[in-house]
Amino acid sequence: MTGKERILTALALRQPDRVPLYIHGINEAPIIGIGRHLTDGLPEPKLFHEMDPAEKMKLLDTLFLLHEEFGVDGFTSFEIGHEVEVDAEHVKDDWGILYTRSHHGLPVAKGHPVTNAADLEAYRPPEPSRSHLLLLDMGRERFAGAKALFWLMRGTFVRSWRLIGMENYMINLRADPVFLHRVAQMVENYNLQQLELLAEAGLDVLVVEDDIAGTDHPLIAPRHFAEFVEPYNRSLVERAHALGLKVVRHSDGNLWSLMDTLLASGYDGLNPLEPQADMGLEKVKDSVGDKICLLGNIDCRDLLPDGTPEQVDEAVRQAIGDAAGGGGYILCDSNSLHPGVNPENCIAMFEATRKYGVYDAA
Amino acid sequence: MDLSSIKQPVLDGDAQATVAAATEAVAAGVSPSAILTEALIPAMEEVGNLFACGEYFVPELLMAARAMSAAVEVLRPSLVTSGYEAAGTVVIGTVQGDLHDIGKRLVAMMLEGSGFDVVDLGTDVAPEQFIAAARDSGAAIIALSALLSTTLPAMQSTVEALRAAALGDTVRVIVGGAPVTDEFARRIGADGYAPDAPGAAALARRLVRVGGEAAVN
Ligand code: B1M
Repeated sequence: MTGKERILTALALRQPDRVPLYIHGINEAPIIGIGRHLTDGLPEPKLFHEMDPAEKMKLLDTLFLLHEEFGVDGFTSFEIGHEVEVDAEHVKDDWGILYTRSHHGLPVAKGHPVTNAADLEAYRPPEPSRSHLLLLDMGRERFAGAKALFWLMRGTFVRSWRLIGMENYMINLRADPVFLHRVAQMVENYNLQQLELLAEAGLDVLVVEDDIAGTDHPLIAPRHFAEFVEPYNRSLVERAHALGLKVVRHSDGNLWSLMDTLLASGYDGLNPLEPQADMGLEKVKDSVGDKICLLGNIDCRDLLPDGTPEQVDEAVRQAIGDAAGGGGYILCDSNSLHPGVNPENCIAMFEATRKYGVYDAA
Repeated sequence: MDLSSIKQPVLDGDAQATVAAATEAVAAGVSPSAILTEALIPAMEEVGNLFACGEYFVPELLMAARAMSAAVEVLRPSLVTSGYEAAGTVVIGTVQGDLHDIGKRLVAMMLEGSGFDVVDLGTDVAPEQFIAAARDSGAAIIALSALLSTTLPAMQSTVEALRAAALGDTVRVIVGGAPVTDEFARRIGADGYAPDAPGAAALARRLVRVGGEAAVN
């Protein structure tokens, strides 16, 4: 099977030839750290914007290379070219949201252009742009159908709080619910339009990336989630399915109290199944494994940063034992290969997936 | 007067009703400090419990904290003239490089709800900023939050910088956040660790009550 077939088979809850391997997100430092095992000439770890054009090209090439060399079956792309630099520490995107950069991870939204209904009245959202899908185009050309092409689309909750601020969002759940619904509709329209472009560009799997939970509980009440967030994400699922795509839902944290609502949306897969948030594979497989494909769970909080390659090997073996039976499991870490992970442990994760993930031998 | 008429609107996160009930209680002759210590603070404690057991979520806690602080603002002048002293000042922030805000905000709200004055420095806070704010505010407690394993070293160096700054024997440093453990807190020389926001408020109260004895447990 090709990587693409493997991923699509698992997402259809069937058994591929072996357990597919996927990287949901990866920062610059681990690309460089892992890449050093494959190629020379990589710069010292630094952020993408700090690299010169040659270093940027090298980084991208290394990203592709590590997917090829380690047999990663899906390639994740996301929007690029939609941000402008404000100063060394800040960028602004085409929604007018200001982000603070950090060496510890992705830039984080800290300046929010819309505060209330009056602001929203005057606000014009951006139009999705075909040129922002460049990374998807590059992946499609490089892998030529061998790997499933994923796209990270920020969902309703994340786009909404980025636009209006997290606390402001939460206060308006009571103070001005109509405002929140209008923001959500605007986000939905944008996402639906972008989805058309993505389907035309050859996407295979849409990832609705919409973190809604912390380690113990969702950030907002399940009833608020069911009213203000999920209906707008659900329309993405419906449209994506109509366009022939698979859809994976990503949210960190403990999702148990939201599970019924999530399942009702019709997602094909659920990611990243954080072990510390009671999303252990045995339990998840047992309770929803016949309804939704599971992607994730290899602990990126403690294990991949501080564990040993042997411990990672064992965690992969265990994960495959717990979740891969009969198909419907895609091996992946529990959030992202973030700047704190040990590259040797990532490689151990890739290699162990090959070692233990063969169905015929199981 | 039945102080539950003040507690309930805090639990409901209704600022207007909380202010109205507190104002009514003052008019009925209840002392502002009793309103605070016997109604508002216990109400926030209950909110903390409801949050910890998953009945309340971040928005409910946020609204309750806002309701309480609206009432405290109304009571403040009479609290000041009656000689009531806040439990102390807490300077709080997420450590350098870490941009996670939500958990730290909850801790700040629960501390306020416990009767502390809180100076919230936000996220990505450098050690010097903690030191300057602690000096300016005469803080009794400095509270550090971290959500990333990669920013735990920044938590450690912040604790070291605070120690080196010799802010005074009674200033206590407490730490928390998902990757932080009791054992880590001890190792870096913090005075206390709490796993969640209600726990952080209880810890801070304990620390000021026992005159600053270390409370890593
Ligand atoms: C002083 O005393 C105290 C005492 C108690 C204290 C305390 C202080 N501070 C907190 N507490 C405690 O009390 C609070 C309430 O009871 C609790 O606070 P919490 O913050 O834990 O709980 C809150 C109420 C709700 N929880 C949260 O708000 C955190 C939720 C999760 C999903 C999360 C979110 C939301 C975000 N994130 Co981030 N994020 C995750 C989180 C997953 C998780 N399981 O928690 C975590 C923390 N993130 C992680 C990662 C990797 C990252 N994140 C990043 C970014 C973000 C967002 C910006 C998208 C967003 C934050 C938005 C914001 N405005 O804050 C990046 C880093 C950015 C940066 N430089 O900081 C990035 C590095 C991603 C990347 N690859 O770039 C992981 C950390 C792994 C690790 N080992 O470090 C993570 C555990 C997710 C995971 N599945 O692995 C307690 O910890």
